[in-house]
Amino acid sequence: MTSAVDLEFRHVSKSYGATPVVDDLSLKVPAGKICVLVGPSGCGKTTSLKLVNRLVEPTSGQILIGDRDVTSQDSIQLRRGIGYVIQQVGLLPHLTVADNVAVVPRLLGWERGRIRERTEELIALVGLDATRHRDRYPAQLSGGERQRVGVARALAADPPLMLMDEPFGAVDPIVRERLQNELLRLQEQLAKTIVFVTHDIDEAIKMGDLVAVMRVGGVLAQFGPPAEILANPASDFVARFVGADRGLKRLSLRRVADVEWQEVVTAHPGDDAASARALLRDSDFPFLLLVDEQDRPIGWLDRAQIPETGALDAQRAVPESPLLERRTTLKDALSQMLGADVMAGIVVDENGRTQGIVTVDQIAAALREAPKSAEPARA
Amino acid sequence: MREDDPLIEWEWIIDNSDQIFARLVQHVGLTLIAVVAGLLISLVLALLVYRRRRLYGPISGVAATLYTIPSIALFAVLTPITGFGSIVTAEIALVSYTLLILLRNIVAGLASVPDDVREAAEALGYSSWQLLVKVELPLALPLIIAGVRIATVTTVGLVNVAAVIGQGGLGQLILSGLRSFFATPTYVGAFLSLALALAFDVLLVQVQQLLTPWAAARRPRALSAVPQSPVQP
Repeated sequence: MTSAVDLEFRHVSKSYGATPVVDDLSLKVPAGKICVLVGPSGCGKTTSLKLVNRLVEPTSGQILIGDRDVTSQDSIQLRRGIGYVIQQVGLLPHLTVADNVAVVPRLLGWERGRIRERTEELIALVGLDATRHRDRYPAQLSGGERQRVGVARALAADPPLMLMDEPFGAVDPIVRERLQNELLRLQEQLAKTIVFVTHDIDEAIKMGDLVAVMRVGGVLAQFGPPAEILANPASDFVARFVGADRGLKRLSLRRVADVEWQEVVTAHPGDDAASARALLRDSDFPFLLLVDEQDRPIGWLDRAQIPETGALDAQRAVPESPLLERRTTLKDALSQMLGADVMAGIVVDENGRTQGIVTVDQIAAALREAPKSAEPARA
Repeated sequence: MREDDPLIEWEWIIDNSDQIFARLVQHVGLTLIAVVAGLLISLVLALLVYRRRRLYGPISGVAATLYTIPSIALFAVLTPITGFGSIVTAEIALVSYTLLILLRNIVAGLASVPDDVREAAEALGYSSWQLLVKVELPLALPLIIAGVRIATVTTVGLVNVAAVIGQGGLGQLILSGLRSFFATPTYVGAFLSLALALAFDVLLVQVQQLLTPWAAARRPRALSAVPQSPVQP
């Protein structure tokens, strides 16, 4: 695998006529980290991204990938070595999923067998089914599937650097949450250097190892780890941008994996009701979770719904709790629980197997805890 | 034409089937040459326009002017230069009439490529030539083929007019029928000309479906939650 590279902006400016779009931007993204550029529209975040692969040329300053200035390289070769994902995905509508993923390897002249192998591998990597999706056209995919193909395409030639411009902007919140988690999971394996543009501060906090808050006119307002930005906004602008609910936003820094999951009494449909009641009697949580053969949650049974004798009936189970993943932020978890009007979410692993539950009370407790991780590490 | 003549003399058709077939082949040939030559010229012009937008006005202006000249007049003007009955005379006129339709459709097709697709392709590292050949032209194909369909059907009709300079294919059957007050060749020529236009059109629809399978691809019904029409019968 190609190892990741450092990316550095050195006093980069871009203006159209007298209007500055990016103003003296300097920042450094260490190899293997995700840097999120976030700000209101017109803050130059997308332009900054396009400066990296030279879709836009800087007015002054330097951008270094590794230790090479991007302007010293042929722009077409440069682009083939950088993964790029945009909001509307930009899949080529006349190519199938497999052909879209194979675009850069073909441009690079890989041989046929290697391209096919790599394509299959990537389609599976982003969570699609190669046999089912390979020959579909983009118009036949859902929004989330298209985004996945976009990510697979960007990864095709294993570039050390990825640019992502609002990659999850066009999908609904639930799908977005899942795609974010998947990207974080991929990043754990791939460790690419990623520059990620969004206007959504919650997404920035969740995705970024480093967050660059930009303001209109292309000025960098603050650059640092998300915890520091939440704890010590450098200016009124940043404070207003991250919002008055900074405390609540701090929940975006913590994951379901960071709290201790509570155990939950589970049973399978058809199990003996009397012994289920007995199990529940010893539990703090007054509900029984019915799960299927693979331990995937079916729904809750209230103590009162469990008959004295006979078997447990899946028909009576109430399936309202949101399913949480290890990487789900506590903020997303809380909002999903409030949205579903329930007191707990069910933690599941990659295969959907029940791992435990997280309750609203636990999240409230996390909120009250002093934000240890968020305490300033002032330089 | 006398009142008691039958509308169509089947015997004449059988006796002259060789000639009818030859005319049909000639008609197809004249049409194909005109459309293919027109398409090639229009492609070159469209690419010129694509590189230099300022040229679109003048080039489409010339094509539009050519299009408005009555075909009979154009044949008459060209005859002293390129000769009566020469295929060149016929084709110059026929090709001229295809240019406007084809040029406009190619340019519209290229313009229909979404900007985000173009930008994504650029960002992936397509050179400008690869972008044109592998992305823009393929995506322009539905509109280009739509133009070819119109141009072809129009040309099939116009070839008949070229009969006045002795190059008409089926038009010569029509003309000879009119000249000899014997209706059968006229009917045969007109009918075959119409059938030929329809056949070309159907064929081109097939070609389009073959070349642009993606254009027909839509999301499976189960995934599209919104009904096509708010008014259900």
